[in-house]
Amino acid sequence: MASSHISKAESSYIQAGLTSKDPQRLDGRNLGDYRAVALETGVAPLANGSAKLNIGRNPHNGSGGTEVVAATKLEVETLEEGAVDKGRVVCTVTCSPAAYPHLSPNAVEDLQYDLTTVINQTLAHPSLHPGNLRIIPGRKSWLLNVDLVVLADAGNIYDALFMAARAALWDTKVPRTRFVQFKARKGGVDNVGKGGDGMDVHQDVTSGFDTRGAHSAADFELPDYWDEGEVLDGRDRWPICITLNLVPPNHFLDATTSEESAVPLKLLLVFSFASIEVPTIQAMRFIGTGETSSPELRQLIKEGQRYAADTFKALQSKLKAEDVRRNQKTRELFASR
Amino acid sequence: MISFTSFPTQPEDAYRTVRRYNDDEDDAMMDLDDENGPSSSKLTCPGETLTSSHDYMRGHGTYVDNDEVIASVTGTIERVNRLVTVRPVNSRYNPEIGDLVVGRIAEVQPRRWKVDANSRQDAILMLSSVNLPGGVQRRKLESDELQMRTFFEEGDLLVAEVQAFFADGAMSLHTRSLKYGKLRNGQLVIVPPVLVRRLKSHFLTLPCNVDIILALNGYIWVSKHIKQIEQEGELGFDAEAVYSNQNDRIDSSTRSAIARVANIIQILASHFIPLTDTLLLEAYEWTMEQDSDVKTLLQEDYGDALVAAVVSKE
Repeated sequence: MASSHISKAESSYIQAGLTSKDPQRLDGRNLGDYRAVALETGVAPLANGSAKLNIGRNPHNGSGGTEVVAATKLEVETLEEGAVDKGRVVCTVTCSPAAYPHLSPNAVEDLQYDLTTVINQTLAHPSLHPGNLRIIPGRKSWLLNVDLVVLADAGNIYDALFMAARAALWDTKVPRTRFVQFKARKGGVDNVGKGGDGMDVHQDVTSGFDTRGAHSAADFELPDYWDEGEVLDGRDRWPICITLNLVPPNHFLDATTSEESAVPLKLLLVFSFASIEVPTIQAMRFIGTGETSSPELRQLIKEGQRYAADTFKALQSKLKAEDVRRNQKTRELFASR
Repeated sequence: MISFTSFPTQPEDAYRTVRRYNDDEDDAMMDLDDENGPSSSKLTCPGETLTSSHDYMRGHGTYVDNDEVIASVTGTIERVNRLVTVRPVNSRYNPEIGDLVVGRIAEVQPRRWKVDANSRQDAILMLSSVNLPGGVQRRKLESDELQMRTFFEEGDLLVAEVQAFFADGAMSLHTRSLKYGKLRNGQLVIVPPVLVRRLKSHFLTLPCNVDIILALNGYIWVSKHIKQIEQEGELGFDAEAVYSNQNDRIDSSTRSAIARVANIIQILASHFIPLTDTLLLEAYEWTMEQDSDVKTLLQEDYGDALVAAVVSKE
């Protein structure tokens, strides 16, 4: 992050390279180039969905890069009277102290609070809310926990967090549920004693158990194994973040740590794609001490949208490839048995 | 432009092989007992039991717990008679007097700077061991103490020589030569310190108008070439220039040459190849022959090809 000091000479060397007519970066990338992004889904077997992402990993020895692990976990929540029964989404970001060795423990805590705020406010927004988090209307629903861990930070942490969160949410499977209700058998107590278990599934008979009369379902059961289920509703909509690093008159993507500390102003743009043609802007945030004007901002949003569409397409095809890879792996595992 | 790759796949039974190696408790000891055993080719895990402390003495990289000698680092086991040591694979820089180091100012303290030099402790640069403006041989004044930040401030990079050690093992640096001082006009590359061997000169100049300072602590400064005449002569000492934060004008071709050299150093370091002047020059010429862009150096197969080409020439 910006708090790792670089000297004035280094900073002006970076800035001069970026603002010149023929812009150049320290590692020879173009302004719109990302470092290589490595992505894998399904890394945590106990989570409902998970992903590991690394931006800028050294291809030869696997060192370096910004590394983020994301995982989602569904939890059953019993609702209070009058609560929203659509389920909830809660996001948390944790930063490993090893990722920020130069920061004090308090500073790391502040940082992870900042990151959590940005991620949670964006992903838990009602416009992105998945429709299938309800279990029993008015009684029980799923609480979707999205946990992100920053293992290493080599710049561009926001893009990495959003991409990892998107991959983990894409990977999330919601277990199928089935209502269970109690009802008194016609024969009364004797009948139950003779071997009927007094439990029945999917019957429209009014329950003798339910006194409120609101819903007949008392509880639910899982028809599948725990790791099966359906994907989250509207999983295409999970957003993508583009960080534009502004060095007037240019801007560039995917800054390294030293580039980040030489840049006065960053613009976070978060786009959601219902389909590739219709992006909606979900969040926008300036970070840094610099300033910009509103006509420039309009131009930047337009550019950002273009970058986001590219990233969306690339990420989408990678996620589908990951799905195929994992299905194949599972099949091989079964075949070998 | 964004492209996604995959993490390298690990062999299915990677975990099991490691377990088997650990479970086989006699293995490590047998190697130690065997005079000609291939003990040096085996890597230890931190916390791995090596042998019994009744029979062997603990050396560097080991500790004793419950009458067992246990490795505290990842490395190779070495044994001299009854003494067991582990030589670490990766370690911080071990300073020696006379070494050339590049460091970054971490803190300004009364009459001294603390310098991060990739060592176990911060190095110390005393105000009395830098060249002060207005004559090389001059007593330091109180006014100098008050304006220490005009010489070096937090984050500044400098090249210096290890002068002495303090009682606690921290190194003391000096910049009392015109070769040393603040660094400008370039970028820093960090490699493992073991990859920089002691050379006749650590100030290299490539014919592509690029200067390289191969510091022994693994911090490598790649910058625009500065002409020799400007560096020579005691009288030529110019405080303005030495402690300046302003970069010179750097043209586009020099800038891309600097980026290219920095990328080459990264590639060689990630293949764990020790850096020398001839090697760097050969690698640079090879990339120029290929007529490639600087950013193609970031690709994996291109890096492998570069290493194969350069190593085969040696």
